[in-house]
Amino acid sequence: MDSKAIEGPYLIVDIGNTSSKAVLIERTDGNYEVRGTGQAPTTIDPPDLDVTVGVRNAVGELCRGLGVRLWDAEGPSKAHRFLCSSSTNEGLHMMVAGVISTISAESAQRAALGAGALLMDIFSKDDPRPEYEMVGRMMSLKPDMFLLAGGTDGGAVDQVLEMAGLIKTADVRPRFGSEYKLPVVYAGNVEVREDVTNTLTEDRYATRVVENVRPIIDKENLGPAREGIYDSYMGHVIIHSPGYDKLVDRVDRSIIPTQAAIGKLIYAYAMERGVNLVGLDIGGATTDVYSVFNGVFNRSLNADIGITYGISNIMKQVGIRRILRWIPAEMSERTIRNIIGNMMILQPESLTSEEALVQQAAAREAIKLGVEHHKGIASRLKGVLKKRILSDMFDQSLEATYLDMMKTQVIIGRGEVFTRGRTGGMAALLLLDALEPEGITEILIDRSSIMPHLGMLLEMNQGAALEILSKECLHRLGTCVAPRGVAKGGEEAMKIRMTMADGAVIQDEVAFGELKTLPLDGGETAEVLVTPTRRFDVGRGKGKSIKAEVTGGEKGLIIDARGRPLKIPKNREVLEGWTQSLTKIESSALRA
Amino acid sequence: MSRSDGIDIKGETVVTKIRRIPTQGEVLVRKGDLVGPETIVARGTVINPDVREVKIFVQLGVDPEQVIRYMLKEEGDEVKRDEAIAIHRSFFGRSTKICRSPIDGTIEGLSTVSGRALIRGSPILVEVKAHIPGSVAEIIPGEGAVIESKASLIQGVFGIGGETHGELAMAVGAPGEALTSDEVVEGDRGKILVGGSLVTLEALRKARKLGMRGIISGSVDQKDLTEFIGHEIGMGITGEEDVGLTLILTEGFGIHPMEEGTFKLLKTFEGKPASIDGSTQIRSRMLRPEIIIPQST
Repeated sequence: MDSKAIEGPYLIVDIGNTSSKAVLIERTDGNYEVRGTGQAPTTIDPPDLDVTVGVRNAVGELCRGLGVRLWDAEGPSKAHRFLCSSSTNEGLHMMVAGVISTISAESAQRAALGAGALLMDIFSKDDPRPEYEMVGRMMSLKPDMFLLAGGTDGGAVDQVLEMAGLIKTADVRPRFGSEYKLPVVYAGNVEVREDVTNTLTEDRYATRVVENVRPIIDKENLGPAREGIYDSYMGHVIIHSPGYDKLVDRVDRSIIPTQAAIGKLIYAYAMERGVNLVGLDIGGATTDVYSVFNGVFNRSLNADIGITYGISNIMKQVGIRRILRWIPAEMSERTIRNIIGNMMILQPESLTSEEALVQQAAAREAIKLGVEHHKGIASRLKGVLKKRILSDMFDQSLEATYLDMMKTQVIIGRGEVFTRGRTGGMAALLLLDALEPEGITEILIDRSSIMPHLGMLLEMNQGAALEILSKECLHRLGTCVAPRGVAKGGEEAMKIRMTMADGAVIQDEVAFGELKTLPLDGGETAEVLVTPTRRFDVGRGKGKSIKAEVTGGEKGLIIDARGRPLKIPKNREVLEGWTQSLTKIESSALRA
Repeated sequence: MSRSDGIDIKGETVVTKIRRIPTQGEVLVRKGDLVGPETIVARGTVINPDVREVKIFVQLGVDPEQVIRYMLKEEGDEVKRDEAIAIHRSFFGRSTKICRSPIDGTIEGLSTVSGRALIRGSPILVEVKAHIPGSVAEIIPGEGAVIESKASLIQGVFGIGGETHGELAMAVGAPGEALTSDEVVEGDRGKILVGGSLVTLEALRKARKLGMRGIISGSVDQKDLTEFIGHEIGMGITGEEDVGLTLILTEGFGIHPMEEGTFKLLKTFEGKPASIDGSTQIRSRMLRPEIIIPQST
């Protein structure tokens, strides 16, 4: 048991744009587990205009299922710890500013995204736009909050104050309610804190000063800025939405953005397991990518890219051909376009098989767009002198991203595209196609949609949150073995020898182009020895063997020898074969 | 895939429209006034976002800090397009260099250090019309009014193009029939055509050419619509397209017959004036396109 834990039971509600979901977590037989969930429409719009109505309804739904009482006239039962996350009003809309676009502004961007924000714009002194254009932009786009950074501690002064001056000139007004003060989090040079607060005066701005996001050039310090954002979010943003003033008085911890809660959970999970991790959250209108590499957390957001409201935008950005290439069935361009258009305007509850194929194809491209964007965010600190050796001269990637699929041990998929009406095989194939994992990678999906709740629980009881995450929230699809490299079709790619816990051995020879599974149940572990041929690498270099302990899942051990980078076949039968490989139980391997 | 839940069709209702300008200005109607779709409810001006930076020192061929000596205009002065704002004569008047304003506007900033001026375009006139015939139920001081009208209201699922009005004309005889270019005829100029299952690209183009105000159809092929408006639709936020007419879909993309009840209701209003708006916003704060047919008084 975690000695620092604040004991439950816990009643946790995530208030989404359209619905609020309540989760009750109680101790049973010594361990915390989810007792039940309840859901109801969010009620910040007319006729209710009170968020607590939807929260109470969601809790009521939960109570009906369990036959318990968790809400009285005063609010949530005092016997429960009450926690909330929120993504109403389409989340936290922020603008950030710094002195140098690739240094302080970039760190500010990472801090805001990490705190779950949707970034409206980024400003800096070296912005190619003239100042009047930046001022015009600040005036026209009303954010919920501004994060101002710039200068190392003891460094730039004038430029930081000039950026503060720009905000003042623009007289930036908050998104909801021009009469409210705009919350500004200042996370720049400590020496000009007073000057910044004197510039952004109390009558118009609620300025909160936190530690510098870039105290020295080669160190990034995002935690205090994130906390500052959470405090301002609770104190100056959501408080203005109907009913939140009542809710704020009843929660046992600050309400934070839903995406921030998910990010916190993903980070804690990766740190506890000591793994590098990539997490994807594909919603109707947004695609979030989270990563933890060597203990560094990053989040990126592709707003307006999603699988219902945002699906036309995927087509607009990548073109119809890139969606069409993933569809194994014969379907005309016009049919696909009409399906995409209807998904955007109607957001159907259930999908036909054709619609599901189109949505899954679009989701692959949404993930690819998201990951490409994420690479720019999850990058090494720029402006830091990097020692280089002669061979680095041939490395074109001067500011390489952290994201490296060969070094990624865990992938987590979240969103209805992985769960609603999908088999585990379809979800796994979607992740394999879109992310192209290399080496040995665990593939998991969030099946219960309670990650925001567990993210909120972290602060009170990390042990319980992570245990429930593993046992009740994440569903193991399997572990994937995928060699990097290409060869001619049918040429041997690798040999696999899997020794089960009971000593049984499964051996297989895998040809280039094959996609198949070996049986290994969820929770079952085995030792695998992978020996790639000379063209292929599974993590130790071309032709070098690797031995590892792997955990099974719904699809067991997934062998993906389709090559990296993955070449998408023009022959639809091959595409259909890929789907079949993971959607039917098969094993051509010999159990010795 | 069929119509989304929560989309309204009301045979008889009181439609209330808030008509306001995005700034403080002058309200031109009074409570109780009867208004038509073209009645201007309020008028005002908004700041012009068009700001031009003029490098005066370059155009005059002088050092930036010398510019102030040659200025004909000061900060705050109004200027016309091509009007001289600074002049530099040299060699006893034989060489004259003039710096002119690129736009009508006001000199918003003049830097005596950098030798540049910022000229903001003249304020933009904004007006809001009543859009629907009815009476003024309430005045919003300085911004506009609330117009009330007894009418029938039909919401579509998607549209393009903004507010317009005209006489309803049934272009097809049944909800399952397609509206092709053959059904678009010269005599319907200025009207709103009602189709059935589908409107073809050729029909859309012909309707635009002949000056139809709008088209109401069950569906349209997404590719045809993309070609008609000239770009891919990204997020479902529309209404600003300048495509010459307003299109409202009652069912969606592809080939979907118009819902029988909707078609029948529209047919009962054949020849009657209607106000339509294709503006659509699909995420939160949902806005669906609207067909409003005022009841005859």
